This record gives sequence, C-alpha cells and structure tokens, in this order.
Amino acid sequence: MQLPLLSMLVWLPVLGAAVMGFYPGQLSAARARWGAIGVAGVLFSLTALLFTQFDLTQAGFQMQELMPWLPALGLNYSLSIDGLSLPLVGLANLLTLMVACNGEVGLKPNETLQRPRLFYTMLLLVNAGVVGALLSQNLLLFFLFYELELIPFYLLIVIWGGAKREYAATKFLIYTALSGILILAGFLAIAWLTHSSSFEYGAINTTELPTTIQLVLLVVLLLGFGIKIPLVPLHSWLPDAYVESSAPVAMLLGGILSKLGTYGLVRFAVGLFPETWASVAPVMSAIAAASILYGGFAAIAQKDIKRMVAYSSIGHMGYVMLGTAALTPLSMVGAVSQMVAHGLILALLFYLVGIIESKVGTRDLDVLNGLLNPIRGLPLTAALLILAAMASAGIPGMVGFISEFLVFQGSFSVFPIPTLLAIAGTGLTAVYFVILLNRTCFGRLDSKSAYYPSVSKREYFPALILMATIVFLGVQPSWLVRWSEPTTQAIVASAFPNQSIAAVLPTHVNLRDRAPHLEATHL
Amino acid sequence: MTVATPPSTKLPPSNHPLADIIYRLEAGGAMLPDTPENLMQIIGLYKAYAVPMDFYWRDLLYIGEQVFLNPLPFFKYFISEEYLQLPNHYAGDTADLRIWRGGADCHPELREFIEKGELKQKLPRLFHHLWHDRINMEFAEECMRSMLWHRDMYVPWNQFDPYLDSEEYKQNADRAIKAYFKGNPVMLGLYKLFPDMFLEQCRQASYYANLGLFWEVMAPVFFEMSDLYDEGKLTSVPEAMNFLVNGIFAIAGRPIYHHVYIRGECYEIIPKSKGFTWLYEAALPYVEAVFYRTSPFRGTKSYNAQAKQVPDDQQDFHYGVLYADKFPVGTAGIPPTFLAQDMLHFLPPYLVEYYQQHCRGEDDMLVQLAVSFQRSMYCVTSAVIQALRTALLYPLDDPNPEHLKANRAFFEAQMDRFLRPEARIRDIQTQDYR
Repeated sequence: MQLPLLSMLVWLPVLGAAVMGFYPGQLSAARARWGAIGVAGVLFSLTALLFTQFDLTQAGFQMQELMPWLPALGLNYSLSIDGLSLPLVGLANLLTLMVACNGEVGLKPNETLQRPRLFYTMLLLVNAGVVGALLSQNLLLFFLFYELELIPFYLLIVIWGGAKREYAATKFLIYTALSGILILAGFLAIAWLTHSSSFEYGAINTTELPTTIQLVLLVVLLLGFGIKIPLVPLHSWLPDAYVESSAPVAMLLGGILSKLGTYGLVRFAVGLFPETWASVAPVMSAIAAASILYGGFAAIAQKDIKRMVAYSSIGHMGYVMLGTAALTPLSMVGAVSQMVAHGLILALLFYLVGIIESKVGTRDLDVLNGLLNPIRGLPLTAALLILAAMASAGIPGMVGFISEFLVFQGSFSVFPIPTLLAIAGTGLTAVYFVILLNRTCFGRLDSKSAYYPSVSKREYFPALILMATIVFLGVQPSWLVRWSEPTTQAIVASAFPNQSIAAVLPTHVNLRDRAPHLEATHL
Repeated sequence: MTVATPPSTKLPPSNHPLADIIYRLEAGGAMLPDTPENLMQIIGLYKAYAVPMDFYWRDLLYIGEQVFLNPLPFFKYFISEEYLQLPNHYAGDTADLRIWRGGADCHPELREFIEKGELKQKLPRLFHHLWHDRINMEFAEECMRSMLWHRDMYVPWNQFDPYLDSEEYKQNADRAIKAYFKGNPVMLGLYKLFPDMFLEQCRQASYYANLGLFWEVMAPVFFEMSDLYDEGKLTSVPEAMNFLVNGIFAIAGRPIYHHVYIRGECYEIIPKSKGFTWLYEAALPYVEAVFYRTSPFRGTKSYNAQAKQVPDDQQDFHYGVLYADKFPVGTAGIPPTFLAQDMLHFLPPYLVEYYQQHCRGEDDMLVQLAVSFQRSMYCVTSAVIQALRTALLYPLDDPNPEHLKANRAFFEAQMDRFLRPEARIRDIQTQDYR
C-alpha cells in the first residue's frame, strides 16, 4: 500500500478546515465556498481512488492503518475499511461536495450566507468526523469521532437554522449527547467484561459472556444508536432538528449523520453480538415496522413540506432496521443499499425543498402551487422533486426501489408480518409524496404572488448530480450492492456459525454465483 | 389604483363595484389607466400582434378562397406568393381608405420571418414548418372556429350568421362544391350521400373569409398606431383608444363576403351585394367570440359534464382574452401560447428592453408579453364599448342628464360582464400584474 488513503480522507478535511478557519485576513463567501469545493473535490477523487483500490473478493477489513496512541487506555489510531463502510464513505464525500457547491441553498433571494467561513469550516469538520467514525477500528476512536460530530452540527443548526433553531439545536444536542453516553457505557462495559486488553474491534470477543449480560449490553447499544437513527420512540429530536436546520445542514443531518446510527448498529450491535441479535431481532423488526408506519402516517398529517420530508426519513430508516433485524444475506445487502439510497434521496429532497423555500418564500402546502409551470414556476426543480419523491416511494428505475425490494425480499422469509407492514408503509410513502407533489408542483400559480426568481445553473448542479446518481444506481444496481455483498454475507455467516448459510436463505435465492467462498465453507 | 372622480356633477355617484372604471369611461378614458407605461405596452403589443396578424388574414383568405374544401389540406399554411402580395385594402397607394402609410403587400418583417424564421437561416419553407419555426396559424383557425361555433351573436344586427342557414346560401355553396369536386366521383358521391357534411365545411370556409376580412382591417390599424407612437403623435391611452374608435367608424361599412376561386373562376358564395358589413358581421361577433367567450382552455377547465365547470349556456362562456389567466402561458393546454409565441418574434426593441428589466427578464418574456397583450386588448375592448356607445347612445358631453344616465346604464351593463372573479380588469389597473 503506497498511500495512507484512509488517513488522508480523515485528516485532509481537518487540515482544510484549519486552513480556512485560521486563514489570516478576510475570506469572501465565494472564496470560502471555492475553498470548500476544492477540499471536497480532492476528497471525492480520493474516494474514487479508494473504490478502485478496494478488493471486492475480500469480506473482511482492508487497508489497515494502525498506530498505538494511548495504549494505557486501549485507544489506538486504527483505521480500516470494509464493504459496510465503503459505500457510506462514498456517500458522505459525495454529499459534502454537493453541499460545498451550494451552501446558500434555502436562503431568501436577497439574503447572503452569514459567516460563510465558519460554515464551510464546519462542513469540512463534519465530513472528517463522519468518515473518521466510519473508518475507525477502535471502539474508543469511533466514539471520539462520533462525539466530535456533535459540536459542528450543534453550531450548524444554531447559527444558520430557522426561527426555532435554539430549541431544535438544544434538543438535538441533548439527545445526541445521551446517545453518546449510552454508547460509551456500552463500549466500556463490553471491554471490561470481556477483559479485553484494548478497544480494538477485532480483539473483542463477546461470545464468552452470559446471555443475559450480552442482552443488556446489546440493549444499551441499541438505545444509543436508536436515538441517532432514529427509531420510533426515540425520534422526537429529528423533526425539529431537520426542519429548523438550513437546507444544506438538513442534507448533512439526514444524508450522513443518520447513517452513523445505522452503521453503528450493524457494526457494533450486530457485529459484536451476532448470536444475541437473533433474540432481539423480532422486537427490532416490530420497531422497524412501527417506524415505517409512524413516519408515513405522521408525514401525511403535515402541512410543511420540510417536515414531511423529515418524517419520511424516519420511515425510511425503518427499512434499514428491518433488513438488519432479518439478518439474511439479501436483507443485509438491502439494508446497506438502503442507507446509501436514503442518503442520496433525502439529500436531494432537502436540497430541492431548500430551493423551493428560497425562491417561493414558503414551505406551506396550502400556499405552494403550480411550480411545474414552465415559464413562471420552477419547472426543473419541480420535475426533480417529482423524480426524487418517486425514488423515495420506491418506484422501479431508481435506487429506492432496489434497496427496498432487497430488504423486503430478504426479510419476508424471516419476519413476514413486519415485512408486509413495511410494504404497506411504502404505500403510505407514495400517499404523502403524491399529496406533496400535488399541492406543490401541480395546480396553478397565483397571479398576485407568483413572481419567483429563476433558479440558476449553479443551483441546479448538485440536484442534477444527485438525481443522475439515483437513476444510475437504479438501473445499474450492481454498482450499489457489489461493494458490500461479501462483507454483509460474512456478517450474516458469523451470526449463524453452526448452521449452513443456506438454511437462513430464502430457498429461491442462489448465492452460488455471487459468493462462492461462502458456499465452499459449508459444503 | 388611479381613481377617477365622477366626470360631471350632473349624475350621482355610481354604486357599481367597478364605479371608478365607469367614471373613467364617462370621462372619455379607457378601461385601463392612462399611464405612459400602459401606452408603451399596448402599442408595442399592437405592433407585435400586427405582424403575425398580417399573415393570419392573408392565410385565412387563402384557405377560405383557394384551399376551400380540400379534404387533405396538408399545405394550407403554405400560402401562395399571390396572397403574400395581395394588396391590403387599407394600406399602400392602391388603398380604398389608406389607414397605414406603409406598403400594401405583406409586412417586410413578416416576409423575413417566412424566409428565415427563428433559425435566421434561409431554408425551404417545408423545413421551417416541420421544425415548427413558423407562424402558429392554428391560433387564427381557433379564433375562426370560435366565431363559427358561438353562433347567434349580436342578433338581430348580425345578419351573416343567419344567412349561412338560408336557402340562397345553400344553393351558392352547392354550385361551388360541385365545381370544386368536378371530376372527382368519390367526393361528389360523398356529397350526394352526406350533403350537410360539405355544407358545414363550406360554412367554416365562409368564416375563414369573414375573419380574414376582419383582420385585414386590424393589421394596418395596428401598424399605423405603432408608427404614430414612434413619431410621438400618440401620447396617451385615450388617444390610442380614440384612434381605434375612429378607425372602427371609418371602416364600419366595408363589405364582408366569401368568394371562392376554382380553376380561375370566382364563385360568390356570399356576394358583396348582400350588404354584410365589417362592424356588424365581423367586428362585433369577433369581439364577443374571441375577447369574451372562446372555449374553455383544456388546461384550465374540466369538460366533465358532471363537474359542471363549463357553463351549459354559450352566453356564459368567459374564456376570452379579457378573462384568460396568462400565467400558464407556455404550459400544455393553454391556446394563447400560440399567439404569444408568434408575437415574441416581432416585439419592438423598447418592449424587449422593458421586459428584460422585470420579473425573469428574457426567461419569462412570453408571460410578460401575454399580460401586456391582455392590457392592449382591454384597450381595444374599451374602444369597442365607446364606439357602441357612440353608435347607440349619446355623446359624453351631452348636456341632458337623462342622456348621461342612459350612457351610464350602458357602461354599467358592460361592466357587469367583468364582475365575475375571472375577469382581469382589476389586475390591469396596476403594474403589479405583469
């Protein structure tokens, strides 16, 4: 290995943030943006390189970078990547680049971005924190990055947010801090109870622990990550935080940060307690179905399009949960795909809602109307919104369908009732998005008020890139699933060590072609 | 909103909801306020409208007189050179009554557009047509068809429409139809089987001629107004309106007829000797059919009979330019888009500059000009209302209060038509609507 690619992905944005933060003299908004675009662009190219370097035949961790840091604490600087974190790293870097391209989205027509320098510094720090957490192989290091996210996100919400931003930011801070405490408590307990010498992920073996203790630890982790995802009873910070955030911050919150929760769940809850997971899985599948239905019904009741999108996020994270709970090779691939799909779709939705808010000046469903009007409306924005909503509702041809269908296909044999409820949930998604589209895009413009400014090419750019990705991955899904298949299958296999993997598979799924090494171990 | 004070102390204030506009009409004004901005917009739009209109009237006559009952009129928009050079009766040196001082054959800007189009390239006309780089003649046909379909307007003054059902008309048409299909046994056989089918087509051709003859007058009027404005001789909205009123009276008696030319021979389906005149047989039905009524836009109203969105009674139709919602111009199902796109090619430079400074500038010029067009058509309708008042009632400065009362009753009755919420009359009172 020539380049310390992973470290570069983590530290380059930190370096960029430091340079931007401490740059002597004034930085105009445009220059700060170009600086952020530059750093994010380099990061994105490095990510592309990472994808080419990634060994698809290997299920485990690759590109290990290990440095002892505080051995007394068991804290090592240990980075590595596998098929679970790779797509999410790609997602995070793509979204960071898209946000850097247009951090002003959502502002009123004659408003400029306040404190642009701080904004883009925080953006780069967010990226560093998320990628760092995704790449960490050390539990404490993961926790460090996980907590590091708190500060920039708190600032992003509280400085650039909407009218009730203080309330929303504080709520977010408290919930996320609580999530951090639970996770830290879980990690510490795991390490101490297993008498592990370090917090290295690979060094921890929980199989010796009594089942009850495993269960308690698992529940603690579930609560911690469940807040972040969020799962239904723990979600109440989300609508406020998403709605009061500015559009780019909402993109980051929904697109990247929520993935840390599901990633943590798969990596630590499933990864560290693969066998105990089976005992909580039925409960989790019920919670997943509840999240999906709750998100759908709550979204139907909303009058604010951003709030609708926020509730849709709760519903869609439920699919990840369902796929993870089922823990079949197919459903796990579906869960990882759904994380990526949801990140792309939600970011696009928030971006478009931001454009609409800034041009029309309202997010109220009862006021918005006729945006598809080709001359006086926002036709391309509205068209993209329709496509994004269709992607979100699981219309074939776009990435949302692929991931949702993988989840359903994979989980039906294990949890048929929750899966059916989840399928009903996609129906609800279609319902509230049709409501949204009908009130927003269709209808006619009011000739008293509809003198909206047009959307510039630069403002369209991120939306078009995201849409292109969504459609491309929808028609060529192997580019979505190929990265994570070996890893997720290995995770599943580790959960059922005494069983042939074929037993947990739906009988009609033939994995022989996809993962010959798995078959080989059990034949 | 500029509020006109009551013009005379002889009348008590009006209780009409549009009283301020009624006072303005009584003072000799138009339905839209007299501002330089309004004047610029309406005159600029007359100019932009007149050039395609110069094509419309020529092609309408071409279709009515030459294409006639062609069952497959593929090339009906490919107007012959003869009709492009057809001298307008109200322009040029040979004019019956010279309204426009310019030439009698087709307008040079129109000629250039026919040759080069939007592409600014000399290509065969068929290519321009297939690339849709052309005048949207469908709009003119739609206006014609709405006159045809809204029959019985302005009875008993309008004699043209009842004449189409008369025995005399049927015989004239019969001769022309037989001559047109001479040597074509299939069509003649069909005519024998279904005579009404051909007769109705013939009526439509008569309305082609009717509308063509109507617009033959309006095009030079609008050209002349634009020239006068450029020369600084039209300085206010009432002046523009009065020019129209005078034009209406000057031209009121021009004959309306339908002659069909078949193999060099002229068939007088509606002869000039019937005495049909421009004002009663063309202008007033046109204003009623196109400015007020037309037909519901497919993109705004549901034709579902159970939904009852479209009135049962044709008198209640209110989809003309005075009521139209101009914001969806450019959208599917909005017919005026055709006209707006035609006018877009011929905007005078001062209007292009003006539109660039407002709303989305170049990007939504189509809607901005459609709104200006609506203003200009309110000015035309004002002229029609004033002309009717002049013809049927009393002068505005009549000393007799009873006569002024009759005038006011007339104006109030006219304004009653704008009380429905769709009417744009309140919107055009300010420049916020653009």
